Amino acid sequence: MVENGTIVSLQDISVRAGATHILRNVILNVQPGEAVGVFGANGAGKTTLLRLLATLLKPASGSGVVLGADLNNDERYEVRHRIGYIGHVPGLYPEMTLDENLSFIATAMGIDGAAVASSLAAVGLAGAADRRAEVCSHGMQRRAEFARILMAQPEFLLLDEPHSALDGSAVDLVDDLVRQTIEAGGAAVLVSHDRSRVDDLATFSVEIAGGTLS
Amino acid sequence: MTTLERNPSSVWPWIVMAVAGLVTFVAAMSVSPDAVQGQLSRIMYVHVPSAWLAYLSFGVTMFASAMYLWKRDLAWDRRAHSSAEIGVFFTGLAISLGMIWGKSTWGVWWTWDARLTLTAIMFFVYLGYLALRRTTDDLDARAKRAAVMGVLAVIQVPLVHFSVIWWQTLHQPPSIIKPEGPDMDPSMVVTLLISVLSFTVMYAAMMYKRIDLARIEDAVLIAEQTNTGPAAGEAVVAPDLSGGS
Amino acid sequence: MRTTFRTQAMAITKRDLMRERRSGEVLWVTLPFGAIALLLIPIAIGTDRPTLRAIGIGLFWVIVMLFGVLIAVRQAHTETQAQRDVVALAGIDPAAGYVGRALASFFLLIGFEAVLAVVTVALYDVPLDGWIWMPLVMVLVGAGLSLLGTLAASIVSTGRSASALVPLLVAPLSVPLLIGATQTFEALRLGRSSLTWTLMMTIVVLLLAIAGVLSARTLQESG
Repeated sequence: MVENGTIVSLQDISVRAGATHILRNVILNVQPGEAVGVFGANGAGKTTLLRLLATLLKPASGSGVVLGADLNNDERYEVRHRIGYIGHVPGLYPEMTLDENLSFIATAMGIDGAAVASSLAAVGLAGAADRRAEVCSHGMQRRAEFARILMAQPEFLLLDEPHSALDGSAVDLVDDLVRQTIEAGGAAVLVSHDRSRVDDLATFSVEIAGGTLS
Repeated sequence: MTTLERNPSSVWPWIVMAVAGLVTFVAAMSVSPDAVQGQLSRIMYVHVPSAWLAYLSFGVTMFASAMYLWKRDLAWDRRAHSSAEIGVFFTGLAISLGMIWGKSTWGVWWTWDARLTLTAIMFFVYLGYLALRRTTDDLDARAKRAAVMGVLAVIQVPLVHFSVIWWQTLHQPPSIIKPEGPDMDPSMVVTLLISVLSFTVMYAAMMYKRIDLARIEDAVLIAEQTNTGPAAGEAVVAPDLSGGS
Repeated sequence: MRTTFRTQAMAITKRDLMRERRSGEVLWVTLPFGAIALLLIPIAIGTDRPTLRAIGIGLFWVIVMLFGVLIAVRQAHTETQAQRDVVALAGIDPAAGYVGRALASFFLLIGFEAVLAVVTVALYDVPLDGWIWMPLVMVLVGAGLSLLGTLAASIVSTGRSASALVPLLVAPLSVPLLIGATQTFEALRLGRSSLTWTLMMTIVVLLLAIAGVLSARTLQESG
C-alpha cells in the first residue's frame, strides 16, 4: 500500500510564510500503525506542520515524502485523496446543507452517494442533514467534517485539535476513528495544545516550539 | 544565500546611460526640423524609441516569465520584474510625449485613436503586474503569480500593434517598415535609427542596474528568512499573570 | 476510486451554482447594480433619443465588462483557505477546479448579459440590426470574461488586498473582448464582415482556457 512501509519521512524541512520561518529543520518519521501527538503553544507551528503533511504547503528547503509522494513535486497531487485532514476552521460552505457539502466531496472523489447519509448518521447528524452549515453550531460543523473523513476512509489522518468543540460521545467517535485507522495499517498525526486529551491515543509524542520539533 | 558576483556599485551602467542619452540629444538637435511640423518633430526622436522600449521591455518580461515557469530560477523573476518596471516608465514617457505632440499638432491632448488607447491600456496592465508583486513577500509565490501574469499580459502587445492596421484612425501609421521603403527624409531616418539604438543600449544599462537592485532586495528578504532569525512561534510567550503591578 | 477531470469540474460548477442560488449575490446585487448603471447614464448625459440609440450597444458592453468582472471574480473573496484545503484534499485536479469555476461564472454571466440586453433595448431603444449575432457574441464575451476572471482570481489568490486587485488585473485585459464585441456590431452596421472580430474573440477565449489550465497547479501551490 505504501512504499517502504513508511507513511511520513521529513528530512530537515523548513517552511516559511513570507519573511518568517514557521518550521525549521524538522525531522519526522511516521510508520504505519503509529499515532503521533504533536504539542505546542499558540503559534508554535502545529497547524503549519499539519498542512505540510497534508501536501498543502511546499517546503522552503529540505525533503519530505508522504505516502510515497515527494512533497517537492507533483507526485503529491496523486496521494491527496488518501489523506484525511481536519483543520481548526471548518471548511464547509455556509450556504449549502450538510448533505450538499458532503455530496459535493463524494461526487468529486467518486464515492457512492449512499455513503453521505450513512456517515452523517454515524456522527449523529442524520436529523440535521438538510440544515445549512451556517446555522449549525461549531460542534456540529466539526462532526460534519468527521463525517466527511468517515466517508472518504483515508489512510493518513491529520487532525488539528481533534477534540475541540466536541461533546463526550463525539470525542469517543473521533478516538475510535483514529484507532481504526492505525489498526488498519494507516497512521495519524494529532495536534493539540492540551496533552491530557491526546496522550491516550498517541503512540509517541513530539513537542513543537519555535518551529522546531523535539 | 545569494552571492553578489557582480559589483553592484559599478558606475559603468551610469556612464553608458549618460552617453546614450547624450548621443540621442545631439542627433535629435543636429538634424534639420521637419518641413511641416517644425521643431516639434524632434519629439519623435524620444517618443518613437520610448515606444520601442515599451514593446521590448514587455517582450523581455514575457520571455523571462516563461523562463521562470520553466526553470524556477529566481534570477529570471528578477529580470521579468526589472524589465516590466522599465517598460512602465517608457510607456508613460511615450504616452506623455505623444500627448504633447498631439496637443500641438491636432489641438487636443488625447485622441481616441487605437494605438494610443491600447498603449494606455498596456500601461495599466503592467501597473497591475507591479501591484500584484506587492501582494506577498514570499519570493517563490510572488515569482509564480507574477510569471503567469507576465505571460498573460503580453497577449496585449500584438493587439496593440495590429490594432493600428485594423483600425483606420488618426494616428500615424507605421511609416518606416513598409514594403515600398521609407517615405521620410533619409537624414531623419538615420537620426531615428540612432536614437532607437541609443535607447536600446540605455535599456541594457538600466536593466543591469535594476537587476542588481532586485538581487539586493531579494537577498535582504532571504537574509530575513534564514535560520538565524527567530521563528514565528518564538514571538509568543506565556501570558503575564502577575496582574501587571 | 479516482474520478475523471470532467466529473471533478462538473462537481465544482454545480457547487458554485448552488452557492449562488442560495446567496443570490449575482441575482440580487450585481445584476441590479448593472441595471441601475444603465439607468444613471442617460440622467447624467441627457436623454436625447438619437444619442442614446447610438451609444446604447456600446454602453451595454462596457457595463457587461465592468460589472461582469464582479461576477467572475467573486470567488476571490467567497472561498476561505479551509474550503480550498478541503477541495485540494478531495484530490480535485487544480485544472479541473479552474474549468469548473469558470464554467459556473460563464452560466451566471450569460444570464447577466441576457437581462441587461433586455434592459438596454428598453431604455435606449437600440436598433435590433444584426441581433442574430448577439447570442454568439454573448457566449464569446461570457466565456472570455469568466476564464479571465477565474484566472485573475487564482493569480491573486490569498495575497494582500486580493479582492481589490482582481478587477484591476481583469479590466485592462478584457479590452480585446470589448473591442471584439463592439466592433462586431459596428462592422454589421457598416455592412462589412464581422468574422475577424468573432475570430479574435475566439482566439482570446482559447488562449485564456489554455493559460488557465496550464497554470492551475503552479498557482495552487503558491496559495
